[in-house]
Amino acid sequence: MNTFLQLLVNGLGKGAVYALLALGFVVIYKATEVINFAHGSLVLVGGFLVYELKDTLGWVGAAVVGIVAAALAGLLIERVLLANARAADHNSLALLTIGVDVIITEEVVRRVGADIPFIGDPYDAQPIQLGAITIFRTQAIALVVGAVLITAFLLAFRYSSWGVAMRAQAENREAAALMGIRSSRVTATAWLVAGALAGVAVLFIATQDFSGAGLGRGTHAIALVAFPAAILGGLDSTAGAVVGGIVVGLTEALSAQYISFEFSKSAVFLVMLVVLVVRPSGLFGTKELSRV
Amino acid sequence: MLVLAACGSTADQQTAEAGAGGVKTDKGVTDTTITLGVMGDNTGVFKNLGAGLNAGNQLWADDVNAAGGICGRQIELEIVDHGYKADTAKTLYPQLEPKVLGMVQLLGSPVLAALKQNLIDDQVLAAPASWSSEVLNNPSIMMIGTTYDLEIVNGLAYLQQQGLLADGDTIGHIYIDGEYGGNGLKGSQYYAEQHGLTVREAKITSTDNDLTGIVTGLRGEGIKVLVLTTTPGQSASALAANQALGLNVPVLGNNPTFDPALLDSPAAGALGNLYVAASSPPFSSKTPKAVEVATEYKQKYPSAPINAGVHTGYVEGMVWQAVLEKACESGDLSRAGVATALTTLTSVKTDDLVTELDYSSPGSPPTRGVYIAKVDPAAEGGLTEVAPLFTAPEAAGYKAPYQQ
Amino acid sequence: MSDTLVKPTSPPAGAPPARRRNRLAIAGGAVLLLVLVLLPVLIGNEVAYLKVAQYILIGAVGGIGLTLLVGQAGQLSLAHPFFLLVGAVSYAVISGEAEAGLVGLGLPPVVGLVGAVLISGLFGLAFAPVAGRLRGIYLGVASLSLVFLGLWLGQSLESLTGGTSSGRTPPNFELLGFVFANSQPAPTILGIAIQKQQRLWYLFLVLAVVAYLLARGAVRSRIGRAWRAVRDNEAAATAMGVNVTRVKAGAFVVSSAYAGLAGVMTALWLDLVKPDENEFTGNYSLTVAIAFLAIVIIGGLGSVPGAVFGAIVVYGLQQFFLLGANEFGWFADAQFGGLTAVVLSAFVYGAAVVLVVLFEPGGAAAIGRRLLARRTNTTDSRTDTAVPAASGGRERSPERNDDDPRA
Repeated sequence: MNTFLQLLVNGLGKGAVYALLALGFVVIYKATEVINFAHGSLVLVGGFLVYELKDTLGWVGAAVVGIVAAALAGLLIERVLLANARAADHNSLALLTIGVDVIITEEVVRRVGADIPFIGDPYDAQPIQLGAITIFRTQAIALVVGAVLITAFLLAFRYSSWGVAMRAQAENREAAALMGIRSSRVTATAWLVAGALAGVAVLFIATQDFSGAGLGRGTHAIALVAFPAAILGGLDSTAGAVVGGIVVGLTEALSAQYISFEFSKSAVFLVMLVVLVVRPSGLFGTKELSRV
Repeated sequence: MLVLAACGSTADQQTAEAGAGGVKTDKGVTDTTITLGVMGDNTGVFKNLGAGLNAGNQLWADDVNAAGGICGRQIELEIVDHGYKADTAKTLYPQLEPKVLGMVQLLGSPVLAALKQNLIDDQVLAAPASWSSEVLNNPSIMMIGTTYDLEIVNGLAYLQQQGLLADGDTIGHIYIDGEYGGNGLKGSQYYAEQHGLTVREAKITSTDNDLTGIVTGLRGEGIKVLVLTTTPGQSASALAANQALGLNVPVLGNNPTFDPALLDSPAAGALGNLYVAASSPPFSSKTPKAVEVATEYKQKYPSAPINAGVHTGYVEGMVWQAVLEKACESGDLSRAGVATALTTLTSVKTDDLVTELDYSSPGSPPTRGVYIAKVDPAAEGGLTEVAPLFTAPEAAGYKAPYQQ
Repeated sequence: MSDTLVKPTSPPAGAPPARRRNRLAIAGGAVLLLVLVLLPVLIGNEVAYLKVAQYILIGAVGGIGLTLLVGQAGQLSLAHPFFLLVGAVSYAVISGEAEAGLVGLGLPPVVGLVGAVLISGLFGLAFAPVAGRLRGIYLGVASLSLVFLGLWLGQSLESLTGGTSSGRTPPNFELLGFVFANSQPAPTILGIAIQKQQRLWYLFLVLAVVAYLLARGAVRSRIGRAWRAVRDNEAAATAMGVNVTRVKAGAFVVSSAYAGLAGVMTALWLDLVKPDENEFTGNYSLTVAIAFLAIVIIGGLGSVPGAVFGAIVVYGLQQFFLLGANEFGWFADAQFGGLTAVVLSAFVYGAAVVLVVLFEPGGAAAIGRRLLARRTNTTDSRTDTAVPAASGGRERSPERNDDDPRA
C-alpha cells in the first residue's frame, strides 16, 4: 500500500510537469494548427541559459532569464521562419519545426559538453516525509506552480482579450480576421506563451528528483513524452492537456512498477493509441469534420 | 625494405614477409613503426570516460617511445571517434583496419558486437574498453582486467564478510539491458545461488535516468543490498532515492557506475553508501605506478576530466606491450604471430595497475581479483580504496559463460 | 497536372520537348547506371567509401517507401524504424540457424529476404486499421508508438532478436549457390577483387533499382492515382468510386514492405541484427524516424527520385564527414565540445529541411524539374507556386511531385 501511494505521489508530481509541456503544444496548435516539434529544444534553450547564468545572476535571476529566453526563442521561430513560409500549410510547418529542433538540440547538447548540468538547486534533493510517504520537494513545487500557472492560463484564456481573440481564431480564422482580430499577433503571442511554459518546465525537469539527470538529450526526450499527453487529451483542448499530463504521469509510474519498467515508456504511447482509436481527436479534442 | 603491399580487405593474400631484424610482419608494422588503432568515443554518451581512455593510451605510447619503442619500432596510434554508434564504427572500420596491427582500445559493447565478425575475419586483436565475459568466445578479444560478473561476485562476498549481507537475504539488482548489465546480473545470480539469496531484478535502458520508482518498488521488497550495473547518472538517481526514501542499504556497483562528476551533482550527499568493485585501483590509489600515471596525466592534460579511464587506457597499452615483446621474441609481428603470442602469456604484470593476467585459457577471464573502493569527496577521483586486491573463493569457483 | 505525360502509348501530336526530354533522361540514366555498376572499380581498395555507398542505398530504399506513404498517399508516419526492425529480425529468423536459444528456420536467404518483406508488409496491414482512423499529425504521433513498441519487443523477445546484448548474426546472403561473402579465389572486375563488400554493393544496387522501378510504376499507374485522390480529398475519392479504406491500408502495406527490405539491407550491412538499447540511438530509433522524414522532405514529398537524393544528403553526408574527419583531420577539436561529423551533418540536414519548407516545398524534385525544364526549353507554363504538404492537405495544388515522369 505504501508503495502504491508513493507511486501515486511520484506520478502526480511528474504529471504536473507533463501538463505544463502539453499545454505548450496545445496553445500553439489552437492558434495555428501547427504541432511544434521544436518544443523540446525550447526546453533545452531555457535550461541551458539558467545553467550558464546561475552562478553570476543567482538562481532566481537566471531562472527569469531562462524563461524569457525560451519565450523569445519561441517567438523567433514563429516570426522568422513560420511567418515567412506562407505558402506552406500547417503540416509542412510542423515538419519545418523538426528541422529547427534537430539544429537547436544538437547545438545545446554540444555546448553542454562533458558537464552534467543540474539546475534545480534551491529545492533539489530535500524530501518532505509524511509518514511512510516521501514527497520530493521538486515535485511538490512543480504541482503548485503547475496548478497556479494552468489556472491563470485558463482564466486568461477565458477573460482576457488575447484569450478571446485566440479562441475566435481557433474557431474560425476567416471570421476572426473579418472581426478585426490580427491573426499574426495572436499567433506570435501563442508561441511566446508556449516558449515561456517550456522555460518553466525545464526548471523542474533537469533535477535529481524529477529526471535523475541534468540537462541533456534526456531532457529533450521528456518533452517527447508530453506529446502523448497533449494528443490523448486532444490537441485543441487546454483542459485536455492537464488531464493528459496527469494520465501520462500516472501511467508511467504505475506500469513501471506493476508491469515492467522497460514497458512503461511503451505503455504511455499504447494508452495514447487506444484513446486515439476510440476517439481519433483525443479525449477532449474537437472532432474534425471532413468537408466535401 | 618495406613490404606492405596494397592489402585492403579486397586484396586478400595474407602474406607475411620478413622486415627489419628478420621479424615477420604484415599489416600495420613497418621497419620503424608499429601502428595500433583506437576506436574511442569523444562525442557520445561515454565521452568523459573516452577522453580518459584516449589520454591513457597516448601516455603509454609516449612513455614507450621515449624508452626506445618496442622491437626497435616506435608506437603510433591511429585514433577514430565512433560516438558510441555501431553504424558509424562499421563505416570507420574498413578505413582503419588496413593501417593497423591491432586495436589498443575498442570502446562500447554495441560497437564490439557489430565488429565481432570483422575482427575474427581480419585477425585483428583488440583490447575492448568493456568488460563482459560474454564476448570471450571471440579469439580476437584481449580482455584486460576482470569481468563485470566477477566484480559483482567479489563485491557481494566483501559485503557479506563485512556483515552487511547474510545468507537468505533479498537483494535488488538494477541493470542496463545489454552486454554490460546482463553480465553484471550473472554475478548476482551466481552469488545468490551459492548463498540462498533472492534477487529482485530491474531492467532499464541506458537512457533512463530516474530510478526513484524502481527503488520505491525495491523498498517494498525489503532488500538488504542494492546492486547497480548502470551509468554514473543512473547510480546518482538510485543513490539519491535510496537515501530520500529512507531505505539506506549498502549499494554495490560495477566499475563504470561511478564518475567523479557525481560529486558535483545534487546526489553528492547520498553517495556514501556506494561500494565500487573494480580490477583496477581508483585514481587516488597509492600504488606507485598509478601515482606516476596520474601525475603525468595532470601535467599533460591540465583541463581534462579526471576518471578511471586514464589508468585503464594506460594498462591497455601495457598489456599490448607484453604481447608485442613476446611476438618480437618469436620473430613474428604479423597479426597471426601476435595472436599466437597472446595465448602463450600466463602472467602479464602491469606494476599492479591490474592483477596478473593469464591469457592461456581462452574463454576464461584473465584475472578474477578486484579492489573495493568507497566514495570519498576528499580523494582525488572521488574514490578511496577500502579493500586491497583480493579474489573471493566464490569468484575462484565461478564458471564464466565461455569458459572451457 | 498534365496527365498526358503519363500516357506514353499515345504521345500528343507536336510534343517534341517531351520526347527530347525522354531521350535525355534515358541517356542520363544509362550513364548513371554504368557509373554505379563500376563503382567498386572506381573506389578500388577504399572499401570504407563503398560502405557509405551501400548505406545510401539503404536510406534510398527506405526513403522511397516513406515518400509513397507520406507524399503520395498523404499519411504521415514516423513508424519506419519499427518496420526496419521487423524486416531485419524476420530475415535472421527465417534464414538463420537455430542455436543457443535462438529461433532460426535455416531456410535459404532468398526466402528470408522475400519473407521479411512480406512479414513487414503484414505488420503494416495490422496497423492499417489504426492508421485509417487517424489523420495528419495525429497519425504521425500515433505511429511513434510503434517505435517504442519495437524497442520493448526487441528487448523482450530475445529468442527472435538475440537481445540487446549481443544481438544475432544474420546469415550471409546467398543466391543460386553464390555466397555474398569473401571467397578464395575471388572473381575480379578490371583487377579489383569482388569480395563480400563488392558483392553486397551489387546486391543492394539490384534491390534498390527494383524498388525504384516498382515505385515509379506504382506512382504512374491506377494505384498512384488512387493514393493521390485519397490524399487530396477522401470524400471526393469515395464519390469517384475509390475504396478509401483499402487504398489507405494498401499504401501502408507497401511502405512497410519497403521499410522491411531496408531492414534486411541494414542487417546485411552491419552483419548484425541487434535491437536498440534505448530510443534515441541505434538503427531502429527515433533518430532514424526523423532521418527518414528528412529524406522525404528534402527530396520533395512524393517524389521517388527525390527520396534517393534525400538519402544521399541525410545518410551519405554524415558517413562522408566521418571518413573525412579521419582522413583529412577535419573536426580536430571535437574532443572537448567542438564540431563533429555527426553534429555538422545534423546541422546540414536540419537546415535543409527548414529551407525546403520555406523556399521550395516541392523539395529537390521541384528544383530538378525546373532545371530540366529550362534546359530543354519546354513550353510548359508552370507556375512555381508552393506545394502544400501532402498529409491532410485539402487544397488542390498546382504542382506536386506526383506522376510527372521527370519528378
